[in-house]
Amino acid sequence: MTFVEAMRILEAFERHRVDYVLVGSMAMAAQGLVRATRDMDVFVDPTEANIARLRTALRDVFADPEIDAISASDLGGEYPAIQYAPPDTDYWLDILARLGEATAYDDVEYESLRIGEVTIRVATPRMLYRMKRDTVRQQDRLDAQVLKDRFALEDE
Amino acid sequence: MPVRKFRSVADMPPALLRPRLDPRNLELACELSNTAAGLAPQNARRFPRGVHKYASVAEAASRREAWERAAGRE
Repeated sequence: MTFVEAMRILEAFERHRVDYVLVGSMAMAAQGLVRATRDMDVFVDPTEANIARLRTALRDVFADPEIDAISASDLGGEYPAIQYAPPDTDYWLDILARLGEATAYDDVEYESLRIGEVTIRVATPRMLYRMKRDTVRQQDRLDAQVLKDRFALEDE
Repeated sequence: MPVRKFRSVADMPPALLRPRLDPRNLELACELSNTAAGLAPQNARRFPRGVHKYASVAEAASRREAWERAAGRE
């Protein structure tokens, strides 16, 4: 994913007033912990209206009929994690609406990052730590430790 | 750059540290990602396009890691 591609997506989210928060590796990078990644992770509010805005924003960028398969009923129901791989790209978007039973959209703490004319909602270091510390994936556990050390976070 | 050796991953230096919420951070992450993709042949393989649905974030991560491992073997 090039920077231009990432900003096209984030600009479309803002233009269509999508309620989202950037999480995962891109959010880690925004918080100053830069490493390579092939995806963009976003936590979204899984309401019908917001997912309709999300689909509109993505269609603006990719003009892909597959986008219609992203639904609020899935994200708010049995499938709280959706991966969308756009055509002719080497990256994908992870669209998340719930993390276990504990974390929902309204629980996600974020702060704003302004890049050019675009304001991006980025998860706070404490939120990223909470999201990563209890997962089974080794990379997430390493990320959690780095976040804890870098931002002097306390266990709650 | 000299060769540096570590007894464990925990001893290795952390990811590149930058100021918090610096507007350049995302751009640097994208540049680093594209450089890494260019160095690893398996990264030329594309994730199956379209929409994939998972019952949990853990399941999505597991499926992605399986795909990355398979791509690395090709």
